[in-house]
Amino acid sequence: MLLAPPLGLLILLFLKEEQKFLIRAVSLVSAGITLGLAIFTFVTYDKALGGLQFVEKYEWVKTFGITYFVGVEGLNAPLLLLTGIVIFTGVLTMWELQERVKEYFIWMLALVTGVFGVFMSYDMFFFFLFYEIAVVPMYILILVWGSTRKEYAAMKLTLYLMAGSGLIIPGILLLYSTSGLYTFNMLQLHAAHFSPWIQKVAFIMLFFGFGVLAAVWPFHTWSPVGHVAAPTAVSMLHAGVLMKLGSFAILRVAMFLCPEGFQYWAQLMALLATTGIVYGVFVGLAQTDLKYVIGYSSVSHMGIVCLGLATGTVDGLNGSVFQMFAHGIMTALFFSSVGYIYDRTHTRDIHELGGFSKIMPVASAFFITAALCGAGVPGMASFWAELLVFIATFKVFPVQALLAIAALVVGALFALRVVQNSFFNAPNPKFVHFEDVSPFLGLPRMILIGALFLFGFFPQFMVSMIKTSVVPFLQGM
Amino acid sequence: MNLMLFGPELYYLGIALVFFCLSLRRVPQVQLDYQIALGLSGVGVLLTAYCLFQQGDLFFKAYRVDLFSQIFKFALALGLFLVLTISHNLAQIEERYHAEFYLFLTTTTIGMMMLVSSVELLTIYVSLELSSYSLYILVPLRRGDGIDVEAGIKYLFIGAVSSGFMLFGLSYIFGATGTTYLSEIMPRLSQLVQSPVGLVGLLLTMAGFFFKLSVFPFHFWAPDVYQGAANQVTTFIATASKAAAVALLLRLAALGTAYGYGFTQALVVLSIASMTLGNLVAIIQRDFKRMLAYSSIAHAGYFLMGVLTMQESGYIGSIYYALAYLVMNFTVFMVLSEVATDGRDLKIAELAGLHRRSPLLSMSLILGIFALAGVPPSIGFTGKLLIFTSAMNQGYFWLVLIGAVNGTVSLYYYLKVIYAAYFIDDPGLPPVKLSLPIRLLNYAMAAIIIGFGVFPDRIVELAKAAVKSVL
Repeated sequence: MLLAPPLGLLILLFLKEEQKFLIRAVSLVSAGITLGLAIFTFVTYDKALGGLQFVEKYEWVKTFGITYFVGVEGLNAPLLLLTGIVIFTGVLTMWELQERVKEYFIWMLALVTGVFGVFMSYDMFFFFLFYEIAVVPMYILILVWGSTRKEYAAMKLTLYLMAGSGLIIPGILLLYSTSGLYTFNMLQLHAAHFSPWIQKVAFIMLFFGFGVLAAVWPFHTWSPVGHVAAPTAVSMLHAGVLMKLGSFAILRVAMFLCPEGFQYWAQLMALLATTGIVYGVFVGLAQTDLKYVIGYSSVSHMGIVCLGLATGTVDGLNGSVFQMFAHGIMTALFFSSVGYIYDRTHTRDIHELGGFSKIMPVASAFFITAALCGAGVPGMASFWAELLVFIATFKVFPVQALLAIAALVVGALFALRVVQNSFFNAPNPKFVHFEDVSPFLGLPRMILIGALFLFGFFPQFMVSMIKTSVVPFLQGM
Repeated sequence: MNLMLFGPELYYLGIALVFFCLSLRRVPQVQLDYQIALGLSGVGVLLTAYCLFQQGDLFFKAYRVDLFSQIFKFALALGLFLVLTISHNLAQIEERYHAEFYLFLTTTTIGMMMLVSSVELLTIYVSLELSSYSLYILVPLRRGDGIDVEAGIKYLFIGAVSSGFMLFGLSYIFGATGTTYLSEIMPRLSQLVQSPVGLVGLLLTMAGFFFKLSVFPFHFWAPDVYQGAANQVTTFIATASKAAAVALLLRLAALGTAYGYGFTQALVVLSIASMTLGNLVAIIQRDFKRMLAYSSIAHAGYFLMGVLTMQESGYIGSIYYALAYLVMNFTVFMVLSEVATDGRDLKIAELAGLHRRSPLLSMSLILGIFALAGVPPSIGFTGKLLIFTSAMNQGYFWLVLIGAVNGTVSLYYYLKVIYAAYFIDDPGLPPVKLSLPIRLLNYAMAAIIIGFGVFPDRIVELAKAAVKSVL
């Protein structure tokens, strides 16, 4: 699974810019293989057995205790599936791209390689290596193919994320050197029992460092700007998958290695997460650009993920990982449909779109489905995820839970108003001549909607999978 | 005496003689000279690679040949060869001086080769001067409008001052220990821990190499010399010369082990000052070479971080990073000199539209710049991580934190370069034509930057074996 994107990338390097169809085909095939393998691992993962499966382990640099160590367990299997779905639909979404096609897909596949690597690595060296591989191509992707203040957004995003890395490296190295084991292997480091003081320092550094990518308030400001500026598929990947890297890394590295540090800072995490939820909802309401609306809703949804993590309970973590998955699919759908509309009309302004549903009923339906999912309507995947998180939060942080739910309810009401204003008002005569989505271009969106409903009606699929590793994870803490 | 021990040096001495004879001709034959230089230095790389595992002592034990020295000799030979590959177009140097250009590049390489093998103070000094004097001549060789002369004089003066510091330090060390052999100085210095004479002497001695590495406060020459010298000369100063300086700093720093805290704290201060100053000033530069000069000052700070750990792992990191720095910095300079075909100073803005003018060069540029910035999966990242890891192992938490923050700062100006190459387009600028060897060189550099970044094990093991003879 880790090999398919880089292989595709290598082939792309030797293709000519003129062979556009071939370039797209190669990208699609490598994305398709990735998706296929992700589904395969998800389905064949032995839940009864649990633990780490599909392990690959090689000694890499002996002197520094670096091993190449990847595997799949209940925590990352859903996220791998998510990445597979989003990259596959992302390539399909960008099928119409005309400008510098080859470079675009090269960078996109590089990014995806990084994402898969992060989710699967159990060695901190490779974890960080892949983390950066995932983050850096964003700069070029936004800069070249983006829109709306892209220079500013690209630079801001990269500097924010790199500042995060500036905290992560010392944090990781602190754990490495104080363990006395001279190994980057996370499972071995987990057994090292760091002193409480070290754990507190390392945890907060890692939390803030990775939190930047997870758009934890107050480090979120790069995220709406970045989402808006990025080209469609990159927004999908970025909001859908990359932000999850941040929250996943908090779970996998920070909480896993510094349980006592986590206990100490859990209150702060919950507080920041709740602030993020409330803030995201209310700022999102004031926006008139559809992408900004989604950008801020991402901030609040990532707040839910973080809140779930902060509870440190089985339900909370279950919900949190589930929410990562559900939100990833949902945002991908959001951006995918907005991107389609924007490519045609060159506007994302809510009022200008007016009654867009009468012009492009199918394209609008995609957006509306996503909006409903975002509002937490039962029958969609995110409903179950949010439910789990809030059940857990009520037990641990009742006040924060109440605040967050109140904000979400208000948010849901207003989300419906956004939908109404942009899709069900009087149609804007400028856009009447546009045709609706063709079945081929609609395909990626259908896949996303299918995934949302599938796990909405059968949440047990996902929850039972995540549970296999959440329970031992919490026992280990 | 086994002749092969001194083989690489003799070989390069031979090259120097050849070019000395060629420089006597009345009518220069530019193309022929270039082919001879390239061919001979290519063979030199193979020769140093062949001599990699030689071991032995020469000249009354003042000269030691071991894996440590041979690795750096290989790096120097490689550096010279690489610089010559991009010298096919010496637009800024008058044709009748071309043979001299090759001659002095070769002699400075000999000087540095002798430098990395020297284990006796006077030999070190003589070799250092041999390499420096050649560079003093090379810098103002450029046909310029006065900027070359300014650069040359600045380089000479600051070089002379740091030489003076170094001699002064050498006299202290000799006075305190009564010997000039490093192997005998080490035990005697540790008996003198109580008196500061050894510490002061050692730091002053290292000043000579701080100058070469452009460590703060010996960095003032770097921006002007980088800008004022011909692109190829700058490339040599920025790659091979740095590797030699790192080698000697590693050897000398090992002497300071006995001093412990006081000695390392001095290096910590220099390291922090260098990287912070270099990175902050680099942000406002518009000239590409000046920016790279400040980036080299910042990198000097990273090198020192590996040196001051005084541990095997830190030394490994430093050697690895020195080799990595040679490759990645060369890649950037290669792009620079290929874009600036007439040998002019390149503004960062003049990289505009490079992705269209030459996709291959822009790929190399991205890889080189990202490697300098320490972005994975490149040798630059792996090297930096090795150095940070060893520094953290020694408990330099704050140093590593400052280093990591500096990495973020540096990314800003590195990204500006990529921004210019990828985003700004200037339709007026013509495509860049590359010859076949240069194309191959581009691919080779890209493969090395990525390949050894992801698979560093071989180099690390080699460096590990080399460090044994120093510590």
